[in-house]
Amino acid sequence: MPLINQLLANGLIAGAIYALMASSFSLIFNIVKFMDFSPGAIYVLAAFAAFFFNIVLGLNFFVALILSLIIVSLAAIVINKSVYKPIRERKGSNFILLLASFGVFLIVTGIILLLFGAQVKTFGLPIEKGYDIFGALITKTQILLIVTSLVLFFFLQLFMKTTKLGKSMRAVADNREIASTLGINVEKTITITFVIAAILAGVAGILVGIEQNIEHSMGFIVVIKGITASIVGGVGNVPAALLGGFLIGIVENLGILFLPSGYKDAIAFLILIIFLLFRPQGIFGVKTREEVSG
Amino acid sequence: MKEKILRIENLEAGYGELKVLKGINIEARKGDLVAIIGPNGSGKSTMIKSIFGLVKPTKGQILFKGKKITGKRPDEIVHYGITYVPQGRLVFSTMTVEENLEMGAFILKDKSIVKERMEEVYKFFPELKEKRNQRATFLSGGQQQMLSIGRALMLKPEMILLDEPSLGLAPMAMQDIFRKIKTINKQGTTVILVEQNAHLALAICNKAYVIETGRIALKGGKDIAKKQKVKDLYLGH
Ligand SMILES: Nc1ncnc2c1ncn2[C@@H]1O[C@H](COP(=O)(O)OP(=O)(O)OP(=O)(O)O)[C@@H](O)[C@H]1O
Ligand SMILES: [Mg+2]
Repeated sequence: MPLINQLLANGLIAGAIYALMASSFSLIFNIVKFMDFSPGAIYVLAAFAAFFFNIVLGLNFFVALILSLIIVSLAAIVINKSVYKPIRERKGSNFILLLASFGVFLIVTGIILLLFGAQVKTFGLPIEKGYDIFGALITKTQILLIVTSLVLFFFLQLFMKTTKLGKSMRAVADNREIASTLGINVEKTITITFVIAAILAGVAGILVGIEQNIEHSMGFIVVIKGITASIVGGVGNVPAALLGGFLIGIVENLGILFLPSGYKDAIAFLILIIFLLFRPQGIFGVKTREEVSG
Repeated sequence: MKEKILRIENLEAGYGELKVLKGINIEARKGDLVAIIGPNGSGKSTMIKSIFGLVKPTKGQILFKGKKITGKRPDEIVHYGITYVPQGRLVFSTMTVEENLEMGAFILKDKSIVKERMEEVYKFFPELKEKRNQRATFLSGGQQQMLSIGRALMLKPEMILLDEPSLGLAPMAMQDIFRKIKTINKQGTTVILVEQNAHLALAICNKAYVIETGRIALKGGKDIAKKQKVKDLYLGH
């Protein structure tokens, strides 16, 4: 069974990335109630920032990583403050916000294209020999990728469940108006949520960058898969995003057994459409509740 | 006479083009239990939301202990010692009972005080203690109302605003909640109680206002219930 095992391993690797992206989408969806495309842009931005600091400037990888995460955090703050907040204050609909976020996505990736050009870039790490695990070949970087995703996810859960900040994020997500009457600064909480979401998406982008390579157009497909993963898990359900992510990763890789590999990306679309039609609330079915108050 | 704790002067407010409050004057002294009754859509919630900064007044002012609080944000108002129990039992449904109460004490830094207050709330509403680790979604209507009130007690407020606490509750649960509201008031908290259920509200208040289409139509003491107009319109006899 080495082929299946290899496909499963590939599924886990892809799934780890989708899970990070899905948590990023879900965190933001929870607090501002619209599907925000900007984590896709953040993903690309982080990968290119890390490339710039590490390869172009020659800085140590960890320094480059930290600087890149600072940059994407700032970018997320600017995006929220200069684009989404004015729309929120004018009571723009979620559809307008979604379109605006698509605009943000195009602008950010467009700027990256202008700055770095269209050709594929690599971090130029030496080719690694894979470890043989149950007949599947997995490299150290790939293991690092899966472990990082799981560890980040674990700390995210812990943070949301046990810290005062995490709880206030959940309160604002649950009912913004009531949260404000308890003394929670809603705008500040939204900003912090965007920063955390940006760090998740940023780490995903950098991990993919070192594991594969980077190009300005790498964001779109990951937006689709990340959003699919968060919908499959149950929109806004952050723990379920992890399962959704791994599910999409594994299913699309196993699909190669039955379909030509060119159809891999189509599988995610297919799953997305099936869920939207038949189970829009996702596997773990928490229906999103409209905020009503008298 | 006790000190004036709340003064609302010529308050006007609404939503965009829609004018809801058309010049409201209300006064409460320390320790009062003020009932504000009125029919559906008369502007009761809008008035309470204006006090808490959730609706921006277009005219008039609101004074709390002589200090102007008009135009302040909700997260600032709570620091004055005012808390709010919204209409419709709006607890955080995705959070546990305990977490809901913790959120009520969000502005307190000292964790031991939060624990202490929580125990006091549990003593006041023993049913909540049994359900402390359950998500608020799974509580009954009455228990959700207790939680909503408990959350607003965590700060030991000087004044508490209650928006239709009887709404949607079974008669027994309603009676329970109103007894608790009376107790809260007796322990020294000024209560502003908005209600459609005039019977219950007038029974426990010491001062009452009737609000109709955004204006104060009547005001008085508890005895307002004896007025023919109130009887006809709100008490159904
Ligand atoms: N967010 C809002 N946007 C627009 N109009 C609103 C909003 N909230 C309330 N209104 C309108 O303002 C008017 C007064 O509403 P309000 O909620 O203050 O009434 P109420 O006295 O609390 O009624 P009820 O007893 O039903 O709670 C109503 O006509 C209502 O439709
Ligand atoms: Mg109301």
